[in-house]
Amino acid sequence: MIEVSDLTKDYGRIRALAGVSFKVEKGEVVGFLGPNGAGKTTCMKIVTGFLAASSGTVTIEGKDVVEHGIEVRRRMGYLPENAPVYSDMTVGEYLNFIATVRDVPKDKVVQRIEQVTAVTGVGERLDQEIGTLSKGFRQRVGLAQAMIHDPEILILDEPTSGLDPNQIVEIREVIKELGKDRTVILSTHNLPEVTATCNRIIIIHRGSIAADGTPDQIQGLYGGGNTFLLEIQEQGGDALRAALSALSHVKNVIPLENKSAGQGAFRIEADGDVDLRPDLFRCCVKEGVTLIELRRERLDLETIFQRLTLQ
Amino acid sequence: MRNILAIARREFFAYFGSPVAYIAIAVFLVLLGVVFFFKIPFLLPKENFFEAKEATLRPMFEWMVFLFTIFLPAISMRLLAEERKMGTIEILLTLPVTETEVVVGKLLGAMGFLGVATALTLAYPVMVGILGNPDIGPLVGGYFGVLLVGSSYLAVGLMASSWTRSQIVAFITAIVICAVFTFVDRVPEALGLHSVEAFDLMSFSRHFSSIARGVIDTRDLVFFFSVMVGSVVLASYSLEARKWR
Repeated sequence: MIEVSDLTKDYGRIRALAGVSFKVEKGEVVGFLGPNGAGKTTCMKIVTGFLAASSGTVTIEGKDVVEHGIEVRRRMGYLPENAPVYSDMTVGEYLNFIATVRDVPKDKVVQRIEQVTAVTGVGERLDQEIGTLSKGFRQRVGLAQAMIHDPEILILDEPTSGLDPNQIVEIREVIKELGKDRTVILSTHNLPEVTATCNRIIIIHRGSIAADGTPDQIQGLYGGGNTFLLEIQEQGGDALRAALSALSHVKNVIPLENKSAGQGAFRIEADGDVDLRPDLFRCCVKEGVTLIELRRERLDLETIFQRLTLQ
Repeated sequence: MRNILAIARREFFAYFGSPVAYIAIAVFLVLLGVVFFFKIPFLLPKENFFEAKEATLRPMFEWMVFLFTIFLPAISMRLLAEERKMGTIEILLTLPVTETEVVVGKLLGAMGFLGVATALTLAYPVMVGILGNPDIGPLVGGYFGVLLVGSSYLAVGLMASSWTRSQIVAFITAIVICAVFTFVDRVPEALGLHSVEAFDLMSFSRHFSSIARGVIDTRDLVFFFSVMVGSVVLASYSLEARKWR
């Protein structure tokens, strides 16, 4: 378990992190989301022990990352932003070097290199010098490097930056696969990425956590109440309106301007977090109207993200 | 230990992966050969090697120490400055290694390079051995001393490289430090004054000379090892200081 408590970091007069706390349980895939300069990278650098916090602590399985640096770093794989890997080595040499420094047993090195290069898709480039690889392949080498010792925890700073759309999909699959049996923290400013790979989102804005939870929880919390949109084929529908108002949990039924003539539409506001759609459907059936659209209205993550980080 | 050696090995082979190393070695060997044909102020002010008709390599070793003050900073400048500039240091220092292990590994890698460059100069003693009959003691002492001075220069250069992201800055800083501590004992002489003992004690070339005579004195060994250990410690500190920037 990773426990980050009340982390602050000042670069001179600039406060990069202003009291960040969160816990990550084993097996979670957490996405740090935030605009550029929000403090994602700083936070990751502190978790990996590359930087020290100005105040606050990070512990991994109860071990402080500053005091037990070596031990903690053994359990962790880290892909820094822009995948800085030695450009003068071949992929094979480089992975061999990292495996050796990471104390992968000698007889397992070849096998591990085979495994990680297969997963990241750089197996055919083993003898190529890293400096001659494209950005996407260098990114994959960086990912392979982070996984070489089969760590319990992976910290990935913008793992899909610089990749083409197909590669992005591939790398997301890799991350999802990895996330099944280990802890992953990744950062990105790309929204679809988080929803595709993470089961938890932490939105960071100006050095603080603006939101923390599963995509559903965040939508529930910041998605703006519990409202439903209902459209019927018939016009008017006063009888229906009365029937809908009578349903339990319904607070308010607002008739909407007709989008296309001859159809009726309502916005229904409900209290709590109950999904009223089955009730609304049955009500329409009972009233003998033809339901043509029924959906739960929510702000999408993109809008929530913008609202949270634009202030 | 295994990780120190892995880092050393990487650094060592990184040199030979680029043409710069071969050019640097070639230039070094050519400039070193100059001592056999020309008069050199301070070392051989009156006559060159052949005119002197003496089967000694003293001038070559002294000239080598002088060349090292420029050649070795060029070798050590990239060790940490480049890592900082390229950001590769972020992966290196989040591996399960201490800053000191990184610095020691890099120093050993550079010393390997120094070993190769020095081994290539063995052609000159072989030549002198054909022409005359040099004493073995000063020859072995000379090589031992040259390696000690060279390793100390590399340690100083590595320390300079830990202070900056710019290889040029690291290069110049290292040259200045090495040159000052190599020639400091000659300053009073050049000014027409009596020699100053404190300057002699600080001088790389003084300590080198006594080893090159074939006399292995603990004081000289202590001097060179202190320089190396001190540089390694300071370089490790400056790497560690990144955390609180």
